[in-house]
Amino acid sequence: MQLNREALTRAYRQMKLIREFEERLHEEIQTGEIAGFTHLYCGQEAVAVGVCEHLTERDKIVSTHRGHGHCLAKGCDVDGMMKEIWGSQDGLCNGKGGSMHIADIDKGMLGANGIVGAGAPIAVGAALSNKIDGPDEDGKLAIALAFSGDGACNQGTTFEAMNLAVVTKAPCIFVFENNHYSEHTGVDYAVGTVQDIASRAEAFGMKVWRADGTDFFAVHDTFREVLEYVRTPGNGPAAVEFDTERFFGHFEGDPQRYRGEGELDRLRAERDCLKIFRASVTGAALLDDADLDKVDADALQAIEDAVKAARAGARPQPENVLDNVYISY
Amino acid sequence: MAKLTYRDAIRNTMFQEMQRDERVVVLGEDVVGGMGTAGGPEAIGGIWSTTTGFYDAFGPNRVIDTPISESAIMGAAGGLALAGKRPIAEIMFADFIGVSMDQLWNQIAKFRYMFGGKSVCPAVIRMPCGAGYNAAAQHSQMISQFVTGMPGIKVVMPTTPEDACGLMRQAIRDDDPVVFLEHKFLYGLTGEVNEDPDFCIPFGHARLARAGKDVTIVASGMMVRYAETAADDLAQDGIGCDVIDIRTTSPLDEEAILDSVEVTGRAVIVDEAPPRCSLATDLSSLIAQKAFASLKAPIEMVTPPHTPVPFARELESAYLPSPAKIAAAVRKTLDYR
Amino acid sequence: MSRIRAFTMPKWGIEMTEGTIADWMVKEGDSFKRGQTLCLIETAKITNEVEAEYDATVRRIIVGGGAGEEPVGALLAVFDEGSHSDDEIEAFVAGFKPAEGGIAQGAEKAKAAEPAAVAAAPAPEKQRVKIDTNRPISPEALRLAEEEGVDISGIEGSGRGGRITHQDVIKALRGPSSAAPQGVLAVEPDDLRVLASPLARRIAALHGLSLSGLTGTGPRGRISKADVLALVPETKAAAGFGTPEFVAGENRPEVVPFDRVRKVVAQRLTQAKQELPHFYLRMSASADKLMEMRKSANVVLGCKASVNDWIVKACATALARHPDVNVQVHGQEIHRFPHADVSIAVASPKGLVTPVVRQANLMRIDQIAAETRRLIEKAQAGKLSMDDMDGGTFSVSNLGMFGIENFDAIINPPQGAILAVGAALRQPVEKDDGAIAFETRISVTLSVDHRAIDGAAGAQFLQTLKGLIEAPEGMFA
Repeated sequence: MQLNREALTRAYRQMKLIREFEERLHEEIQTGEIAGFTHLYCGQEAVAVGVCEHLTERDKIVSTHRGHGHCLAKGCDVDGMMKEIWGSQDGLCNGKGGSMHIADIDKGMLGANGIVGAGAPIAVGAALSNKIDGPDEDGKLAIALAFSGDGACNQGTTFEAMNLAVVTKAPCIFVFENNHYSEHTGVDYAVGTVQDIASRAEAFGMKVWRADGTDFFAVHDTFREVLEYVRTPGNGPAAVEFDTERFFGHFEGDPQRYRGEGELDRLRAERDCLKIFRASVTGAALLDDADLDKVDADALQAIEDAVKAARAGARPQPENVLDNVYISY
Repeated sequence: MAKLTYRDAIRNTMFQEMQRDERVVVLGEDVVGGMGTAGGPEAIGGIWSTTTGFYDAFGPNRVIDTPISESAIMGAAGGLALAGKRPIAEIMFADFIGVSMDQLWNQIAKFRYMFGGKSVCPAVIRMPCGAGYNAAAQHSQMISQFVTGMPGIKVVMPTTPEDACGLMRQAIRDDDPVVFLEHKFLYGLTGEVNEDPDFCIPFGHARLARAGKDVTIVASGMMVRYAETAADDLAQDGIGCDVIDIRTTSPLDEEAILDSVEVTGRAVIVDEAPPRCSLATDLSSLIAQKAFASLKAPIEMVTPPHTPVPFARELESAYLPSPAKIAAAVRKTLDYR
Repeated sequence: MSRIRAFTMPKWGIEMTEGTIADWMVKEGDSFKRGQTLCLIETAKITNEVEAEYDATVRRIIVGGGAGEEPVGALLAVFDEGSHSDDEIEAFVAGFKPAEGGIAQGAEKAKAAEPAAVAAAPAPEKQRVKIDTNRPISPEALRLAEEEGVDISGIEGSGRGGRITHQDVIKALRGPSSAAPQGVLAVEPDDLRVLASPLARRIAALHGLSLSGLTGTGPRGRISKADVLALVPETKAAAGFGTPEFVAGENRPEVVPFDRVRKVVAQRLTQAKQELPHFYLRMSASADKLMEMRKSANVVLGCKASVNDWIVKACATALARHPDVNVQVHGQEIHRFPHADVSIAVASPKGLVTPVVRQANLMRIDQIAAETRRLIEKAQAGKLSMDDMDGGTFSVSNLGMFGIENFDAIINPPQGAILAVGAALRQPVEKDDGAIAFETRISVTLSVDHRAIDGAAGAQFLQTLKGLIEAPEGMFA
């Protein structure tokens, strides 16, 4: 299905926003101003956007430690996110969560998660909730979706979640972003089913899809099918594996000694989803470079504003430590 | 007032709340039983018979049998709660908290805090716990010390059918996540239960099971029953004990404990968990810190030893506290000086 | 003289074994003259000035003022006429040996020279009785047990591996508890419509208070103990009177350790009360005639005899007639004295002292009055000597001036008896003709050591005494 100009521009803007967000963080983190661990999503934008463009607010996502891209793609406020990463009281989580725990429940974003593999069971629960609510007027279920990586696909929680989803026919989608590294270990070593995560999900009894995660259109088209399937009551869960790349280290500060000679340059040159998108749309004359350049400038400006806002954001006070442990105690 | 068993008090309360609020759902292993078998659903209605008849009444959408996968069960409870439901998840034996720990400890307990107060997670996690059936080391543990120490969840341990009813209703209606510890040995206990459909017992409000001027005995769960027996025995010798059933370990009714110790000056803490870093040491520390001037004797703890739960009948008996051990501890505090 | 002189702890009275230098009046380098006061020495019985017996110079003060007890014969200071070198003095000190067979020789200690003015010494470590044991015991527990003389063989160690802890030793020191249990109370029903802490509910029930309508300040809005206590009514004073609330402050005691005298008194009286089989005989006598005679004798003889002086005279006279009451008990021996050396109990700044009126039976009443006055003044100045207090065959203790009607005194060993004298009181008595008249009467109690003095002997003595009091002219027969 063709996307119109507006949709294409929007998709590109989303991806570009994520890219600029992460690239800017990469710079800022070097100064030491940002506390804690940060895990950057550069290179995987097409997956987050290609998936989330299909979703409504009733659809819930649970993310990973590398969650900025999912957050932005699901519609979380850019300034709010940047402020949260800066630890401001005005951040999306009042400075209580930080990079690894950004959430916006109202937008259906049930949190980035610092525990690898923890998202899958939570997503199954959210999917069950949607199943209980039943289909809407057009007979379609709202779904829940867990983003996982080639690391999480080894966790017991992922297996338990997949099985539970299958036996309860929960409308849950397991999106595996295979960026070939789980922390400092390559997928060739860590994943027993030789670089094929989707087949695991298949073995658990669900329908699976695979696509190239660096191609926005491949992601977008594939996911439409997945979603169509899972939204249909009675079908149960599905999984999709996207083959993608991450351009930065596992965490900011990772020396990346596991990379091959010239690997990062090659990835930036050949596996950059933004470049691939640009080539695609300009090649098909759907958008031209000027349109895209304008989006580039807008995105850059949005991030610049966000960083300014984050720096100026209110700082939390010591007494805020006690806030929101419970609703009432 | 109705006369109910502890088990039925829990069951009936959950049932009533599911009728009252369609957001309440139940999940766990064999909460129905018989799914995918020739014998068909409700082969058991929960291995503790606490969910019998639920499947018939509410159907598979709201009464969800799960495979044996505690992480998934605990995590799904978290996800259901974040998505707007009020799940009651059963972890069949509290000992299985091990295989589900991350989803409780790092996820459910911390959502609200990490997300800056923006999420609500009204999950109830029921965990049958405690020894007495010779079920040995991996099926007999008291885990109150682990969950009490987790900020973000509330921990409830009823002792009587009435408490089970009032505290369960409170737990379901409470918007914070609650771990509900049911002592296996108490399921058959009968007692009067308030039939008011809105009867709730607020958390952090202890029950005074016996009253006396000489010694304060603080206990929870099954240990309260032993403490009551010990107190009644000691009363024959003219020794009066306050027996405080704390009912909830988090939040804790500190005031009830300290007020009592300020009068008696002597404290005996009974706990079913081994003594290191346990509820008993927690309460001892509380009393030493905040009622020091009132103490006439060192605080006594009656706990099992620092071992796993043994199997043979006489070993489990030797392991557990008992009314005799509690009475001896009471006399020890009276003999001091 | 041209030799180095040792100044040693003197021996005053046969009982003295050690003394303390209360204060030095001279310091090293001072020269003094014969008769000049050198220092104050305090013993169990008295404190006395020591006067120089010759002219000399203080070369070295070995034992400073306020230092510990020194045995009789111990070297206290070194004097000479000033000509010897420091080395010679040091050599003398080093080579000094207490007198042959003396007490200090038995308790010889090496002493370093100490300056006369001793700066405040740090609190000395308590004397410790060494405990030798293989049992595991914590260092603090061992120290406490040694200081307090605790027998650790009776202690079961509650520490790891049976180790004896500090707390175990403290428990052993305290001994068993005597806590009497106070019993069972009723449990107040817990009405959750009005949420209150268990104790608040109990207090309310105790005072018959209702909790409904009360706002709670406890956790989660619960009614707490404080909320209920605020409701408990104060007992109202009579209208028009405001009783200010009494707030008890500190009642901190002034701690006065036993001084030397009190230590001895305590020890001796305890011993007397515990060991002597005291037997009490009570008698009262009409004292009108005694009072009359006292008045006239004071005028005639120009003295100021007190009623007690007359009692002393009466006792002395009676004792001379009843020598079996005028005794001292030494071990299994009764020492029967021909003359009455009457000890009189005098309150002095140092406590109760008992100077002796010697051979009172031979004294005239004015002599007794003079002697008692002399002794009382000396006692009140703290200057009684050993000679003043040594011996005594009988004691008289009079508390009549305080209005005490009668009392029982404790015998002063080695004496065999003591007379306790009460106040002279006007009392109604039946006269021979059946009429009631008022008389001055004195009550006395004679305490006797029943080992040495039988009831009959005591009674007979009292009979004589009564006769002498009621017809005092009999004392001059």
